[in-house]
Amino acid sequence: MSIADVCVVACAEAWRGDGEVLASPMGVIPTLGAKLARATFSPGLLLSDGEAFLMHENGIEGWMPYRQVFTVVASGRRHVMMGASQIDRYGNQNISCIGDWARPKSQLLGVRGAPGNTINHPTSYFVPNHSPKVFVENVDMVCGIGYDRGAFEIRVVVTNLAVLDFDTPSHEMRLRSVHPGVAVEAVVEATGFKLSIPDSVPITREPTESELAIIDRLDPSKQRESQLPRP
Amino acid sequence: MAELVGLAEGIAALVHDGDTVSLEGFTHLIPVAAGHEIIRQRRRDLTLARMTPDIVYDQMIGAGCARRLIFAWGGNPGVGSLHRLRDAVENDWPAPLEIEEHSHAGMANRYTAGASGLPFAVLRGYTGTDLVRHTSSLATVTCPFTGEVLTAVPALNPDVAVIHAQRADRKGNVQLWGLAGVQKEAVLAAKRCLVTVEEIVEELDARPNAVVLPSWVITAVAVVPGGAKPSYAQGYYDRDNLYYRRWDAISRDRDTFTGWLADELGS
Repeated sequence: MSIADVCVVACAEAWRGDGEVLASPMGVIPTLGAKLARATFSPGLLLSDGEAFLMHENGIEGWMPYRQVFTVVASGRRHVMMGASQIDRYGNQNISCIGDWARPKSQLLGVRGAPGNTINHPTSYFVPNHSPKVFVENVDMVCGIGYDRGAFEIRVVVTNLAVLDFDTPSHEMRLRSVHPGVAVEAVVEATGFKLSIPDSVPITREPTESELAIIDRLDPSKQRESQLPRP
Repeated sequence: MAELVGLAEGIAALVHDGDTVSLEGFTHLIPVAAGHEIIRQRRRDLTLARMTPDIVYDQMIGAGCARRLIFAWGGNPGVGSLHRLRDAVENDWPAPLEIEEHSHAGMANRYTAGASGLPFAVLRGYTGTDLVRHTSSLATVTCPFTGEVLTAVPALNPDVAVIHAQRADRKGNVQLWGLAGVQKEAVLAAKRCLVTVEEIVEELDARPNAVVLPSWVITAVAVVPGGAKPSYAQGYYDRDNLYYRRWDAISRDRDTFTGWLADELGS
């Protein structure tokens, strides 16, 4: 079992109980998580190939071309897991630019679907490199909105160190669990704002034998292992 | 009624300096050959619009064709950043590039409003984001029935839309199928449009999920086999994934890019 496997399961857990919604994972580990959830405890999830088809493990089960996704977004029947170049304590997310918008130090990809996702349906994030550069006091450009700006629901943030949620009275970010072998202090140090830390922080659950077998079947070339920074 | 033209002739007639131009396509059917012809003809001061700009816009921006970009996501799909886009925004090379940033749904809705002859579109989105501060082409609107405050985005009516499709008939009716983005909306919203196609056929037989654009909404059709490469045309050829990875290395460096431009496009 590796930390990447733990991350896959933590991502899968984000979709637990969602029923029949479109799961839209971005990136290798969130995609494996969504497929694992579908293969085990969330069999109702709809998985897009990102282009035009709804997929199950052995092939195509439906047709949903890209532009139809906007209708699903507006209806709320979707749960997306996006990346975040920056995120703050309320879950405001930035993928557009680092620095001043008019003359950025780095022009990133653009707001993409974040403004519509975060106001219409549940959103989670996956951050492979938990650091103070990503977890910041204030993001440089709000693309996905957080709880202080009217987000529908920011479910969880899964990182290479921990799982975070917003289960506090003020919807500020809280440490839900640390991955096996990670100290709470390491997460605090890697976060650029004050995290809510419960008295007792559980360890993120490890994959079961049968989950590991499914993950290996879904990702035989172990692409997931190259997604996290080397320790 | 669409006219059958050569690609160079079509671009010369329809795309002018200073125009707002949309080359639309989503992963599939990207009008790359037409973009290259715009570079060869050295168009300048274009406002480029596209929901998801990828490497053809990177090439046009690096070649100095663009003054402004209207977009929701700009990247080299599956690879990373667009380095020419970044160099233009961050360092004004080869020229300053203004950006007008919207969400995906915002872009799609802007074309839909334009295609419908409506002045604006309404959506739930943008509220609370910093787009409200940076993007002047959006506003709030209050629903007259429920009182809900929503976002309004203005219609996008390009001077020219350029798309690539699988085929057309001799009258200039166009048919495309497989993964479609907002090509239909962009064509219907635009004042003029050019469609490049893989081939002309005698008759357009039915295809599942096909988009058919009748001749009377199209200005010109040009036959350009392979016109979407390195993207793909379903039923004709596959995506050249290696090219997208190679583009990352070519586009990172100004000299390498300039060399590519001279070698590939004589520009």
